[in-house]
Amino acid sequence: MTEMKKRFLLIGLVLVLVLGASALVGCGSTDDTASTDQSEVSTNEESTGMVLVEPGVLTVGSDCDYPPFIAMEGEQVTGFEYDLLEAMCEEMGLTLKFLPPQNFDSILASVDQGTKMDLGASSFTITPERKELVDFSDPYFDSNQACVAMKDAGFESAMDLDGKKVGSQSGTTGSDWVKENLPNAELVEYNTASDALAALQAGQIEAAFIDEPVAAEMVAKTYTDAEVVAAIPTGEQYGFAVAKSNPGLLQVVNDALATVMNNGTYAEIFARYFDFEPTLP
Amino acid sequence: MKEYMRIVAAIRKSVHLSFLIAVVSVLLLSMAVPSVVGALTTDKITARSNQSGGNAVIGGQPTRVTWEGTVTAGEQISFVQLDLPEGTRVNDDSRVEVTILDGLERVKAIQTSEISDEKATVSFSEPVPENMILRIELYNISLPEKAGEYELTGSFKTAEGNLQELERAPQPIVVAEMTTVETIIMWLNQQEWVNAWNSVPFFRIFLNPQMAVTAIPLLFIGWLRSFALVMAGFPLAIPIGLGVSFLRMSKIKLVRFISGIFVNVIRGTPLFLQIYIAFFGLPAMGIKISDYLLGILVLAMNSSAYLAEIFRAGIQSISKGQFEAANSLGMNGIQTMFYVIIPQTVRRVIPTATSEFILLYKDTSLLAAVGVMEMMMFGKSLVANTGNMTPYVIAAGYYLLVTMPLTRVISTFEKKLALSEGRDH
Repeated sequence: MTEMKKRFLLIGLVLVLVLGASALVGCGSTDDTASTDQSEVSTNEESTGMVLVEPGVLTVGSDCDYPPFIAMEGEQVTGFEYDLLEAMCEEMGLTLKFLPPQNFDSILASVDQGTKMDLGASSFTITPERKELVDFSDPYFDSNQACVAMKDAGFESAMDLDGKKVGSQSGTTGSDWVKENLPNAELVEYNTASDALAALQAGQIEAAFIDEPVAAEMVAKTYTDAEVVAAIPTGEQYGFAVAKSNPGLLQVVNDALATVMNNGTYAEIFARYFDFEPTLP
Repeated sequence: MKEYMRIVAAIRKSVHLSFLIAVVSVLLLSMAVPSVVGALTTDKITARSNQSGGNAVIGGQPTRVTWEGTVTAGEQISFVQLDLPEGTRVNDDSRVEVTILDGLERVKAIQTSEISDEKATVSFSEPVPENMILRIELYNISLPEKAGEYELTGSFKTAEGNLQELERAPQPIVVAEMTTVETIIMWLNQQEWVNAWNSVPFFRIFLNPQMAVTAIPLLFIGWLRSFALVMAGFPLAIPIGLGVSFLRMSKIKLVRFISGIFVNVIRGTPLFLQIYIAFFGLPAMGIKISDYLLGILVLAMNSSAYLAEIFRAGIQSISKGQFEAANSLGMNGIQTMFYVIIPQTVRRVIPTATSEFILLYKDTSLLAAVGVMEMMMFGKSLVANTGNMTPYVIAAGYYLLVTMPLTRVISTFEKKLALSEGRDH
């Protein structure tokens, strides 16, 4: 009997602890945002109504593995998106800070939460589905999908891959495309585009579906035994992701983007990474 | 009465027959009509999956339907109308989006569009030129609730004003019926307490009731697979580990040295790295093994090194007197090992070996990185699709389902062990 009682007491105690802890965390997070709201409204941010994780700094989350848009050279982040954001930050009067590489599929959720990063820059295609979670800046790049396979595989079109084992980066529009257009394919989703291509090279999958500019770059530079079987005209556009609760920041980002697009900086950065003319603005 | 029944049966049969004839004749007719290449070809129609945690298109729930076609050379298109299947519903958020692509490049166009339950229309203020890819996306429309295959019919106008029928897409849209999970989620969506609960960001993101309902059945499949991986890998690791532990205690120095390298290399490198090398390295060497088997082998290899050390410690903890006593009874080395030493060792190593099992079970999650479909992978793709972290919390629950009882087993065994050893001495 005492044994029984003890057990009930223990279970009760655990329940109370768990509930208490979750309530604490819940309150804690709301308190946090409330306090940062007040403390971080510095002169610049006050006029625009934007909220930043760290005052005066634009904290950016990216998977940092998507050349030529974003990549790591040692510890330094490089790429088209990095240069573009750097130019934009100059306009915004903010310091650019990239977080260490994030998992692509968790960046938008982090942006939504708003306590870790201000902006997501990982070649996000603007889609209505994603727009339900976060806001997007005006588009800064026109992109498409590509189907990548080994050179000797003999595939001629993306549709040849229906019923095959194919790969993509988890959470990307490439995954979405496969699910919608190749319903009989077995899709394996990897953390990064590089992992998907490594799996392709290792024969784990027969094709990888990646954004076309990235596929072209990786096939030319790193995975030279693979080739782009077909570019898939999806007409996607990349945008920077900003929390819905932060319309002030979105406005500032859009203004800065418009400025660098109009004063020629955008075209100059574009020319550093691509050998074709920009289709935007 | 019997006569009547017979007549009914006959009528039924003839109805069936006439239906069959009708179907066949329609099929024949559709084959007989020559396929004229119109000014606009239909390349595909698809619908985005709206099943939570699945890939199916569910009727009666908002989805996105995409129609894609190409303007034939020498033609221009000024108007397209898509007739929606009967029973399609639009709501306030429904809208039409049009994308025009010249090869891979987006082309700007000005158009007006309208959508209703029956049809979606797009009028271009300037006709779409030849060879352009034209994509019309219908957002937030609900396909008919009845499961089945649906076609989109419709018509279009060329720049000259000729009205033509749209051709059929190569594949219809397959609509599935609502699943139990969907029904529960719909019910939850309407509950007041659910909305109140979800209004707290932490609860919405980590303990979302709707996501939990989606994740629990889906992750159960993943849980079974994770469990299967470790249930195959661990038993495989036991004999290998025992073998290695013998080698580690060998009288020959070289054997001790080589087995020592094996144990130290495996224990001295992260399992994650071993998985990457096995999955991306072995195939490059021309060794092709299926994902699951390779996963089991890597787990077994990793665990065997740890088990080898556990077994070695267990065997060496048996007092020398036992060996001497067995020897004096006339047992040889192997007999001593199997009849005297190992039975005593088993009792001592069970707690540590069980801990090793728990570690290995948790480590199956590392296989998600190389595309083995286990629990973490199921959770990851759910999180990726929804931006909600609840599946991870559910996954944690599933891991605990195995590890909690096992930790209990360990502590019980340890208590027993302490008692019996205490009596021995």
